[in-house]
Amino acid sequence: MTFYLVLTVNSVTFGGLLFLLSAGFSLIFGLMRIPNLTHGSLFMIGAYIGATFVIGLLGVKLNFWLAAILATLAVALLGALAERLLLRRLPGDQLAQVLVTLGLSFMAADACLALWGGDPLNVPTPDGLGGFVRTGIGAFPLYRVAVIAIAVVFAVALWLLLDRTRLGAMIRAGVDDPDMARVVGIRVSQLFTIVFALGAGLAAFAGIIGGPILSVYPGLDQDMLPLALVVVILGGSGSLLGSFVGSIVVGFLYNFGQALLPELAYFVLFLPMLLVLLLRPQGLFGRHVP
Amino acid sequence: MATSALSLSHIDAFYGDSHVLADVSFELGEARMLGLLGRNGAGKSTCMNVTMGLLPPRRGTVAIFGQSVSGLPPEQIAARGVALVPQGRRIFKSLTVRENLIVAARKPDAGSKHAPWTIETVFGMFPRLSERSGQIAAHLSGGEQQMLAIGRALMGNPRVLLMDEPSEGLAPQIVAEVMATIRKLKESGLSIVLVEQNPKLVFDVADDIVILNTGQVAVVSTPSALSQDGVDLRQHLGVF
Repeated sequence: MTFYLVLTVNSVTFGGLLFLLSAGFSLIFGLMRIPNLTHGSLFMIGAYIGATFVIGLLGVKLNFWLAAILATLAVALLGALAERLLLRRLPGDQLAQVLVTLGLSFMAADACLALWGGDPLNVPTPDGLGGFVRTGIGAFPLYRVAVIAIAVVFAVALWLLLDRTRLGAMIRAGVDDPDMARVVGIRVSQLFTIVFALGAGLAAFAGIIGGPILSVYPGLDQDMLPLALVVVILGGSGSLLGSFVGSIVVGFLYNFGQALLPELAYFVLFLPMLLVLLLRPQGLFGRHVP
Repeated sequence: MATSALSLSHIDAFYGDSHVLADVSFELGEARMLGLLGRNGAGKSTCMNVTMGLLPPRRGTVAIFGQSVSGLPPEQIAARGVALVPQGRRIFKSLTVRENLIVAARKPDAGSKHAPWTIETVFGMFPRLSERSGQIAAHLSGGEQQMLAIGRALMGNPRVLLMDEPSEGLAPQIVAEVMATIRKLKESGLSIVLVEQNPKLVFDVADDIVILNTGQVAVVSTPSALSQDGVDLRQHLGVF
């Protein structure tokens, strides 16, 4: 029983991280139709930058949360630059976008390897979150519970931003019909940069807060990107609710699959994606794009 | 001659290799309504797309109140005071009625003679939208969606309003309502291009008529002159 409870908490925690990673991925794809294959790299770069400050590799040791904010802002800026300088020049050309973002992700992986070496970096759990929460049904690592809480806070904040503000309505209008959004005067190209920076920052934030659980290592990007893809395909691109539900589902499939059917873990993960692609290509919460 | 609200001069436009507009020129006078007629595929909507910057022409210029907007992207043309009620309405379906309106809000130009359009005045013109302000736009009826598309265009406080087949796919009673609205807008002094396949609707309200035939301007006239001259409209418009 405890085994399943722990597995459940781990699944929800992982789902929370995946949500932070995939919400931006989904928005970028929904709004800009760009399959951003650097998204795993943004997660990894955020984790590396954050870890550098938390561990004090450059001689500067920062508080975990301050390091997380710095890493988030740095990667958001990196995302905005990539959008302005590269992706903007390839509008509507998905093959070129795939190739450019894939190429960037290889370059990022090499750069990280050169800068941080091949050994994994273990990120210490932030102060005060190292213990366990004891409840009537068992004890759970406090940090994992905190990650779940953070993901829920971000989900609510993102929902408020997208659903309750004019900026959010403009972003959704851009997802609905980019040409019409421009016709009514919305500066869609500015929205693109904002959304890309937001998505990159969220991915980086997920990377650093995932650090104490996953650690930071070469190949982290390639481990995370397919999971974000599965989330977006399951949930539907451009849908925040879809990302949320998709992330939790993938969190469960990944953890339960690895624990109960380790030899079939990827089968368990990708089979539902295959079925969704066949039966409901727009995803569970996505709208059909003609 | 006074500056025209909108002028297209010698426009050549292509979809891929297909030459869809050939040397098209016409002018819309200030506070006038121009009815743009033609068969399916004659190039009416293409004229609207070219004006709005959605399809950059290969040759020719588009000017708004004498200022060229050629080569500008749609959002900048919208900022110059042009609004489009597009064919097929194209409202933002996942947004609520209110959100469809607020995303398009733009302050009127300084020195504008008209009272500015706001959510309240749009709701005043279309009380049914007000009743449904919190509803997702996809759930509106066709007529309500058309009203929303018109309301959304008005929220941009345009000086030039382009309406691309606003009667398309609507029941006759709703068409009458929409046409009554268009009449009101014209009386308010807005300069309007009304694109239609149905000439009867246009002849009642338009000051000037331009008929396109296979991507070229075939007739430039007025409704009264057209009925007096006995121009064979069937030649350009098919069934009449």
